Amino acid sequence: MASLALQAQQYTDSCKLTVAGIVRDAATGEGLPFAEILVVDLGTGTAADGEGHYLLQGLCPGTYHMHFMELGYETLDTTITISASRGFTAALTPSTTQVNTVVVAGERRHHEATTQPVTTIEAQELEETRGLSLGEGLTKVSGVTLISTGPSISKPVIHGLHSNRILILNNGIRQEGQQWGSEHAPEIDAFMAKRLTVVKGASSVRYGSDAIGGVILVEPDPLRRTPGIGGEVNLVGFSNGLRGVISGILEGNFAKAPALSWRLQGTLKRSGNMRTPDYYLANSAYQERNFSGTVGYLKPKFGMEVFFSEFRSTIGILSASHIGNLTDLNIAFESDRPLITSGFDYTIGRPFQFVRHDLFKFKTYINTGTTGKLSLLYGYQYNLRYEYDKDGPLNDSLAALNRPELLYEIRTHTINLDWEHNQIGAFKGMVGVSFINQANLYDGRFFIPNFRNFGGGVYAIERFIKPKFELEAGIRYDYKWQQAFIPTRNGEVLNPTRTFGNASGSLGAIIKPNEIWDLHINVGTAWRPPAINEMYSNGLHHGAAAIEIGDSTLLPEQAYNASATLNVVPKGGKLHIEFGVYYTYFNNYIYARPELPPTLTIRGAFPTFRFTQANADFKGIDLDLEYKVWKGLTLGSKSALLWAYNYTDDDYLILIPSQRFEHSITYTFNDYKHVSNAYVTLTGKNVLQQKRAPANADFAPPPAAYFLLGFNAAITVQVGKQPLEFGLSINNLLNQRYREYLDHFRYFVDAPGTDVSVRVRVPFNFKTKF
Amino acid sequence: MNNIQKLLMLAIIAVISFASCQKDKVEDPNDINEEELITTVSLAFTDSANAANVLNFTFNDPDGEGGNGPTQFDSIKLQANTTYYVAITLLDASGSEVDTISNEVLEEGVDHQFFFGINDVAITIVYEDTDDNGNPIGLQTKWIVGNVGTGTARVTLKHQPDVKAPAPGDETQGETDVEIDFPLVIE
Repeated sequence: MASLALQAQQYTDSCKLTVAGIVRDAATGEGLPFAEILVVDLGTGTAADGEGHYLLQGLCPGTYHMHFMELGYETLDTTITISASRGFTAALTPSTTQVNTVVVAGERRHHEATTQPVTTIEAQELEETRGLSLGEGLTKVSGVTLISTGPSISKPVIHGLHSNRILILNNGIRQEGQQWGSEHAPEIDAFMAKRLTVVKGASSVRYGSDAIGGVILVEPDPLRRTPGIGGEVNLVGFSNGLRGVISGILEGNFAKAPALSWRLQGTLKRSGNMRTPDYYLANSAYQERNFSGTVGYLKPKFGMEVFFSEFRSTIGILSASHIGNLTDLNIAFESDRPLITSGFDYTIGRPFQFVRHDLFKFKTYINTGTTGKLSLLYGYQYNLRYEYDKDGPLNDSLAALNRPELLYEIRTHTINLDWEHNQIGAFKGMVGVSFINQANLYDGRFFIPNFRNFGGGVYAIERFIKPKFELEAGIRYDYKWQQAFIPTRNGEVLNPTRTFGNASGSLGAIIKPNEIWDLHINVGTAWRPPAINEMYSNGLHHGAAAIEIGDSTLLPEQAYNASATLNVVPKGGKLHIEFGVYYTYFNNYIYARPELPPTLTIRGAFPTFRFTQANADFKGIDLDLEYKVWKGLTLGSKSALLWAYNYTDDDYLILIPSQRFEHSITYTFNDYKHVSNAYVTLTGKNVLQQKRAPANADFAPPPAAYFLLGFNAAITVQVGKQPLEFGLSINNLLNQRYREYLDHFRYFVDAPGTDVSVRVRVPFNFKTKF
Repeated sequence: MNNIQKLLMLAIIAVISFASCQKDKVEDPNDINEEELITTVSLAFTDSANAANVLNFTFNDPDGEGGNGPTQFDSIKLQANTTYYVAITLLDASGSEVDTISNEVLEEGVDHQFFFGINDVAITIVYEDTDDNGNPIGLQTKWIVGNVGTGTARVTLKHQPDVKAPAPGDETQGETDVEIDFPLVIE
């Protein structure tokens, strides 16, 4: 009755009431970022901002049934009576079983917190990616693709930009490894994440000058706040490569010390040689072993958290991809099958990489009452990288040492101090400073030198919040000092020093006139200093069979970025349209340009690439559609289009992802007795050939277009009090032969064939007396 | 001094000593362990009719691939209608001590083979050495030179662990360790 009465009144003049407030953790009082608020009677809702603040508007007087939801918390199910605009604070208690919340299709899921295009992967969508690498999981987001070196090494590309232009925040700390190399994957255990967020476009003001192409946030769940011990076990098995993954979380909280929480997490992964439709990929086996531990002491006024993680992986590099010179490369191209194939094996032989990444984090915060929240974040990272060539030294005594042909060791300290002030009138904002100190060591073959750098940044972001619109402005200044130490033949050390400093700024707006549509607009400038490899690399890039030469006089890269995202959910909530457009213009875009003549070496002639700068632009469209056809049947479609151009050379840019489209059909079953959250999805992915590639700048033309079918299904079965979650995924269902333009191995081999994976997730929970 | 102060002192000392030993290593990259390189390829031609007549031709790139170009790149100059015995020497002269890589190639002869490609002139090349399996290596060869002319001689060393083919060998297999196109003059 109430809802009928409400609907009848929907468009009358009295329906201008608002409910505003905060969704927060009942124990700590901390705001819950991006919590979802659902008005059950109206079938509409909203999402909280990054601090948990929310605003519902256009409500008529009456009584409403409402849900306040956040992953990892019990949903607050309540009724609210509205006679005038009012406030409401929703205090959520952390959930004990942490069964995934089901994401309601058709509901708007974007973050209200930023004026930029942002996409989050969590819950069901994230579970489907379990066992895959971080990069592979992120490709669920429109506009995110992969640059990869075979099936085991991949890194994310956002709107055509990657490596030095993307910042990854691992549990709040900027990931600092050897991220300049396209064959250097992010050293992060994907199982640590309960939420992956992609900010598309320059986000330099908040995160620093490297975030010129976007930011990826890898976030674990908040720590457990109810007494007891809980956790989960994940098992995943894949048919291709007979890959197996086991990952677990154990966490607890003490009844006698409610502020004290802890968590242990670990993952073991092993893969044998993967298989294409026709042959095995020789030496593509890999292993990974990770663990992390967290201890937190969290009170409403004050809290701190200590976190440590270690990531170790050993990755075999396809034997056929390691070539001596251009002649070898040409022989490899001309051969239909790779010159070296093998059977199935878990053994990792030469060539291979070994990577270790340790992260130590300390975080503390003080809620300064009415004035806001002060937080301090310190991070220390140690990154070690060994690269073993296909053949060891010929000299027996050298060979016996079994040293890697290339070694990098990088140590990074970071400090962030942020102060967020509470809303004063319509204003809300934050200021902060950040510092970074880094030292790199190499051993073996020279490619990039030892270096030391120091950077500092200071920023301020302020937001003007009104019910129907928000305005945001931010400004930042960054400074970087860098010294390289380059050995010379005569024993001298050159130590060129460069300093860089520049400001970046952004302006944004959110227009949300009603519950049907909203528009996010952002314009900003960003810059980044040239990276170490762009300035000082000098040598043979094995596997790439190319000599890369840096330019120590490169100027900083300057970007001007504009984006707009329109969200539309017409009445009834059956259809959801998310339409994003973006444009980025680069002054002094840094890239490697082929140089003639090829470099003459004892191994023959090598194509040579020299880092240079050009004015270039990137423009594109991301379009997501979701339509609830009938009962549990949903159609989905994602398109990502990108065009990039080099104006200085009047040519295309190399290695730009081609246009791609993904369509899906999902059937969600009704819950029945002990069975819940059951669905099946069939996905078709269509990737076009990249026709906009520069001529004579690549070893082989971009590969042909391809179409892949995929299948996903999941079900949760309640056995007594124990929920068991099962999932089934099939990639490349038709065992299609294909090659991807941004996969370096495309020169040598096909991409993997059909891969069937089965996963089980067992969440558990025990109450304890202590 | 209470325990906390002692602990702090220890921590500070640890941080400083850690930082200082880092400093030396980062700022002095000259004591790194350089990888093994082949920097020098020398061909010694001995006239089969006159052992005192020895010609040496060398390609030398002391800093390896990339960086500076080769410091020496000889043209091979031979007498027409002469037969030579040719011995190849490979050196790693990048470090402080010169390492003779060709000795290692001989030792691991079953994994290596030289290949020769002659263009535009008439030279017949015969392998004069064999590995433990009786297949050619190519460190020792006989060159039967024909008439006057100019052309090129490509000298290629392939590392072919487990894939070395029986005589005459398969040049498409393995990884290239050496590939030089020597200009060739027959006078």
